[in-house]
Amino acid sequence: MCFVKYCLSKYSIWYLFLLVPSFLFAQGRKISGTVTDSMGRGIPAVTIAEEGTNNSTIATSDGNFSLVVSGNNPGLLFSSVGYVTKEVKLTGDQSSVNVVLQTSVASLGEVVLVGYGSVKKKDLTGAISNVDVKNLATQPVANAGEGIEGKAAGVQVISSGAPGSNVTFRIRGTGTINNADPLVVVDGVPTDAPLNNIDPNDIASIDVLKDASAAAIYGSRGANGVILITTKKGTNGKGHLSLDFYTAWQKAANVVKVLNAQQFAGLNNEILSNGNQTVNPGYANPDTLGAGTNWLGALFRTAPMQHYSLAFSGGSDKYNYYLSGSVLDQKGIVITTGYRRYTVQFNSQAKPLNWLRIGNNLSLSSDDKPSGSYDIRSAMAANPVQPIFAADGSYSKITGNPLWYGDITNQVGTANINTNDTKGYNILGNIYAEISILPSLTFKSTAGIQALFFDSKSWAPVYDFEPNPQTQAYLSQQFNKSMTYLWDNYFTFDRHFGPDHHLTVLAGTSAQNNRFDYINGNKRDFPSDVTQQLNAGTGEANVGGDASEWALFSLMGRINYAFKDKYLVTATIRRDGSSRFGSDNKYGTFPSASVAWRISKEKFFKVPFVNDLKIRAGYGVTGNQNIGNYSFASNLSIAQYNFNNLPVTIVYPLVLPNPDVQWEQVQQSNVGVDATVLNDRVNLTVDAYLRKTSEMLVPAVVPVTTGYSSTNVPSVNAGTLENKGIEIGISSKNITGVFSWNTDANISFNQNKITSLNGNTPLFVDSYGLNANFGIDQAGHPANEFYGFVTDGIFQTQKEVDDHAVQQAGTTSYNSTSPGDIRFKDLNSDGVINADDRTYIGDPNPQFIYAMNNTFSYKGFDLSVFLQGVYGNKIFNANNIYQEGMSIAQNQTLRTLNRWEGEGTSNYMPRAIYGDPNQNARVSNRFIEDGSYLRIKNVTFSYTLPHQLAQSAHFSSIKIYTACQNLATFTKYSGFDPEVGANGVDYSVYPVTRTFSIGINLNL
Amino acid sequence: MKPTRYIQLSLLVVFILSITSCRKYLDKVPLDSINTSNFFKTPDDAINAINAAYQPMQRPKLYNLRMWTSDIMAGNSVVGAGGGTDGIETVEEANFTTDPGNPGVLDLWRGPWPGILSCNLVLQNVPGIKMDEALRNRILGEAKFLRANYYFILVRYFGDVPLITTPQSPKDTNYYPSRVDKKLVYNLIIQDLKDAIDLLPRRETYTGSDVGRASKGSAVGLLAKVYLTLGQYADVIPLCQQVTQLGYTLDANYSDNFDPAHKNGPESLFEVQYSGQTNYGFFDDLNQASWTSTFMGPRNTTFVGGAYGWNQPTQEFVDSYEPGDKRKDQTILYQGGPDFYGNVYSSTYSTTGYNVRKFLVPTSKSPQYNTSNEDFPVLRYADVLLMEAEALNATGKTAEAQLPSTDPNATLNKVRARAGLPDVTGLSQADLKEKILHERRMELAFEGDRWFDLVRVDNGQYGLNFLHSIGKTNATAKNLLLPIPQVEIDANPNLKQNPGY
Repeated sequence: MCFVKYCLSKYSIWYLFLLVPSFLFAQGRKISGTVTDSMGRGIPAVTIAEEGTNNSTIATSDGNFSLVVSGNNPGLLFSSVGYVTKEVKLTGDQSSVNVVLQTSVASLGEVVLVGYGSVKKKDLTGAISNVDVKNLATQPVANAGEGIEGKAAGVQVISSGAPGSNVTFRIRGTGTINNADPLVVVDGVPTDAPLNNIDPNDIASIDVLKDASAAAIYGSRGANGVILITTKKGTNGKGHLSLDFYTAWQKAANVVKVLNAQQFAGLNNEILSNGNQTVNPGYANPDTLGAGTNWLGALFRTAPMQHYSLAFSGGSDKYNYYLSGSVLDQKGIVITTGYRRYTVQFNSQAKPLNWLRIGNNLSLSSDDKPSGSYDIRSAMAANPVQPIFAADGSYSKITGNPLWYGDITNQVGTANINTNDTKGYNILGNIYAEISILPSLTFKSTAGIQALFFDSKSWAPVYDFEPNPQTQAYLSQQFNKSMTYLWDNYFTFDRHFGPDHHLTVLAGTSAQNNRFDYINGNKRDFPSDVTQQLNAGTGEANVGGDASEWALFSLMGRINYAFKDKYLVTATIRRDGSSRFGSDNKYGTFPSASVAWRISKEKFFKVPFVNDLKIRAGYGVTGNQNIGNYSFASNLSIAQYNFNNLPVTIVYPLVLPNPDVQWEQVQQSNVGVDATVLNDRVNLTVDAYLRKTSEMLVPAVVPVTTGYSSTNVPSVNAGTLENKGIEIGISSKNITGVFSWNTDANISFNQNKITSLNGNTPLFVDSYGLNANFGIDQAGHPANEFYGFVTDGIFQTQKEVDDHAVQQAGTTSYNSTSPGDIRFKDLNSDGVINADDRTYIGDPNPQFIYAMNNTFSYKGFDLSVFLQGVYGNKIFNANNIYQEGMSIAQNQTLRTLNRWEGEGTSNYMPRAIYGDPNQNARVSNRFIEDGSYLRIKNVTFSYTLPHQLAQSAHFSSIKIYTACQNLATFTKYSGFDPEVGANGVDYSVYPVTRTFSIGINLNL
Repeated sequence: MKPTRYIQLSLLVVFILSITSCRKYLDKVPLDSINTSNFFKTPDDAINAINAAYQPMQRPKLYNLRMWTSDIMAGNSVVGAGGGTDGIETVEEANFTTDPGNPGVLDLWRGPWPGILSCNLVLQNVPGIKMDEALRNRILGEAKFLRANYYFILVRYFGDVPLITTPQSPKDTNYYPSRVDKKLVYNLIIQDLKDAIDLLPRRETYTGSDVGRASKGSAVGLLAKVYLTLGQYADVIPLCQQVTQLGYTLDANYSDNFDPAHKNGPESLFEVQYSGQTNYGFFDDLNQASWTSTFMGPRNTTFVGGAYGWNQPTQEFVDSYEPGDKRKDQTILYQGGPDFYGNVYSSTYSTTGYNVRKFLVPTSKSPQYNTSNEDFPVLRYADVLLMEAEALNATGKTAEAQLPSTDPNATLNKVRARAGLPDVTGLSQADLKEKILHERRMELAFEGDRWFDLVRVDNGQYGLNFLHSIGKTNATAKNLLLPIPQVEIDANPNLKQNPGY
């Protein structure tokens, strides 16, 4: 009996056929049938397994299956992603069975990727989020990352509106003051390629490894979490053709309102007369100037977007394939920006021999990203009195006194004339072979490649509009190549011992290396605008180029052990050697362990409404090796000087070497509960974690007297940081039946704190101008906190000025603090307002992030309403340093109409004055705003035509849908949009867009 | 029948291979730089290392920005710039509200040390290289000259400074050095320059891409300036005369000193070289283009590429020109003055009504903001003549200091004659002193020298009197030295702040 089980281990069934066919056939009988959903449609890819064995098969795309079973009264388990697993007991002579599966929120049967393998969701011991990708394809977004915003507890996604831009992921807070991006793994290949390279339609699953016990299998790259993306595979059955098309319109959700010409001229007069400067005679009668130019209006537009994808898939027992192609054509909401992408995905798997499985995953993409030549803040600042075009039809220019006219170059002109374009050509793929050595032992070898080629081109023709005329045409090009190779080898042992024990062991190696090369060149002076090639330039030529490399070699192992499905243990270890580590720290070891206890299986557990209850606990160590390729090296840099116009080589020491540099380390503890209650209708997951980053790289203190760079300093592993938080995720089937209503919600609380840096010297992380720092990292505070002065209303009278600490001494209202200026708090009470009166004025890290999705279905109609929000973070609105500064001839926001113009006129918007003697625009809480928001992130309404109707048109299904991304945003933030980037600074940020789309999905 | 045996065997081989074949796999070294242990082996290494000792002078921390903005602090001009916070740190300096967080001061403090390190590396390693003795001497001489010049910059702005004469590593006891008495710093400067005078060749021996290197004349002239700064006037005179004997003369045309087409001319003892190449970023430390024209061009005009509008001369400065001074038209842009390559100036281009013309390079010669190849003068013969006159007068040879311009030994009047001004004769020692300092102000305007004159004469009392006379009443004795930047004190607690900050 035991021998049979041994032979029937998961990977060996075909092998067994070969070796002992007669034995097997003598024992088995064939069961066949169909699996359908509640509407009678066949469900493809359902796994049908014989209970107590490793014997299983997969249903075809029509839902048909057949399986040879061995037991006399066997139980069959029918499981599929998104459906409630169903168990059917077969009677002695039954040879066919038809099964209806109910859709599920619990989805405990789902398989979750864990890196170098997968486990059933119900057997998880770590904190892993399985992201719902069902609606990914119908969302009008180019980047799959945007599509998963709010879909997983503890995963913050920050998108940008710029076409073709990438998203920023933060998993469980900001793990380090350095690079806090998670590792992304696509089809088993760790990649640094942008997620844009993959069409959202091709994605089958996204799993996020959040805690260290899950991520430790990625060792020195797991510290900021791991995102595992799997592309779609073919399924058994006849070929399946799917066409998806949508068209969309995008618009800026909110445009900041600025002054019109008349208001601007009035303000300019006030600025100058308050500052004792001569006013512009041309602005003597502001009323005559009218509304003038709306520069922002001219820069933004309603932009179309189209997406087409065609996928063809199918397969048999021996072979399956998935082939797809897509085109995305997106125009940006800022004129001349856009994004066009072509992708091809080809995945296949074959079983040429009974003991051999080979396959490949291949993602090809090519994109073109015109990124324009514009600056949103400059468009806000542009003079509204200036027309876009001069009388002769050319772009207008600014000449003359900058105090009257400003000095902002014609933004519409540069946007239309200059071009900046990046083209990318990307290959991401792998081939693998999986060999069954013994029934319970397999070996898999994977060779992966990531080849990224991208080149950028900037062109500026001759133009004459001042203040920055281009007197010679300029062309600059850069070609980049990044090649990454991967070779993974690992053994997997998977065996049940008796009915109670299940052991899985993984052991293997991984080697990955990368080389990045670039070469660039630029020239000036071209004979014509059509000859945009370097050879055509006649001016001075500059060339440059460089290369860098890294390599990683790893050993890894994992043990999963389950006893009676009740007690689950996972232990992993990874040993990473990296070319980036100094010779004394070449290898790092990253262990983890986690356990889970399924209380609901205990005999004493008798809570009727709880179907499944599992408690998890884990601890692990992970690393972050994004520390630069050569931090350890003791090297001399090469550059140049010149004598008599002739260049000569210089060789000089720049960075003090740190031969001891190593990875940053994260120790993370996690406890969690998974519960399924109320007849499998409600699924609840709660996790609490403590994430301690140590060995965090902080800039070394290098006395400048050494002569080594004091700005380009080596980093030393000396900082510590802590994130702690709670994540709650809930899925509920509120109403089932013909009309169904499901709710998924999650909320994640995180607290971030730097616990120590190298010494007490704070690190300034953001600044504008030459020395106006505003972001600070200091022990005892959250990462990247804002730092500056604290305002205390506005001086209404000279007496109030005199009674307060000295801010700017002087003799007149135009060179010193005067009524109408901002009162800054004298925090150290020394009677003087200076740099010592700065303090912490805001935390860009949210207190919690949350999301809720409600889906309603009735017959063929589906409606999903997805809300997503962020709470408690602060934004530094750096645009307003200039756009509410009221000291120079730049246009200002409409709010400046409420400026102080006499006692009692305002207590928050100061007076307008040239030169800003009081430095009202200094970094202060004046520019800190609440960044909390709640968005209606996505609303999708779709209608699936009745089956018969579709079939009469020779389709297996037809779905039409309409969607709106970022439908509405509720926020107090005064800028374009509160989603400004992970550091919380809004400076010329390209706002996210509101997008309406309509689409159709056809299946053949 | 048993393929698995072979497979298992081959898998084992594959697996073992994949584990063991990684010995060299993790050895990755930078591909674009030289390992320290392979360097200082050849004469070329020595040349490349001494070239590196020049480069820090090019940076905005020193001659490309911060040193000429000292003239703003000295009252010759105001910042101008674009308003808002543009140049706010220089406004603070000019208002004498400078605090230890001032980024301009930080630049001046940080600027020289990379150069000093390169000099120290050369002085430590080049003696051990097998190479031509004449070349070795030249290189060592250049290192001594450059190190002296870097310390001379530091000691004049900050007073006492740390004295580092060998390359350092974190294990050194002096890794966090204290400031030492400036007398010791001057001792090193003087010894370095004396050595450099012996080691360096005359400038005419340089050809091709060596023209512009430190020469014997550079070292002699700089030593004269060091003695002048220390008030050792008797030592100044013979050195100035030695410069004359080395063949230096005044350019016939004053503005040729600031014309990229006449760089390293007959008047030039030493200048910071800019080629105007654009292969490094304009704001990068390694930038090869000069900032002066770009920064000083009238804002919102097409006089020059860029035109940031910095450094606007004050009315008081413009009024200080003697009638007939030809340098006025060559130094200042003013309404009604001569046009600049066809561009007509209007007083609305500037907050003071004036802009600097001296350093402007027209777009026909430098089309873009980042293409100017104008050198920055560190020491020129007119300065040497004025130093000689000042030293003669200070040592009682007041008449000798006023020799008519036709006299071969004339000093002050030679400089005045070129400016189209009549000879000075018969002034008293006190009046002549004042006259010479005034002449230095006009002759060397915007070259970053005025501040050093203000703080050196009469131990700075001359400067304070002058600053108060033009309304800068905030200036007190503490302002004669700049504060030590707070971030540097934080990084090295052994540094103590200058009094009053």
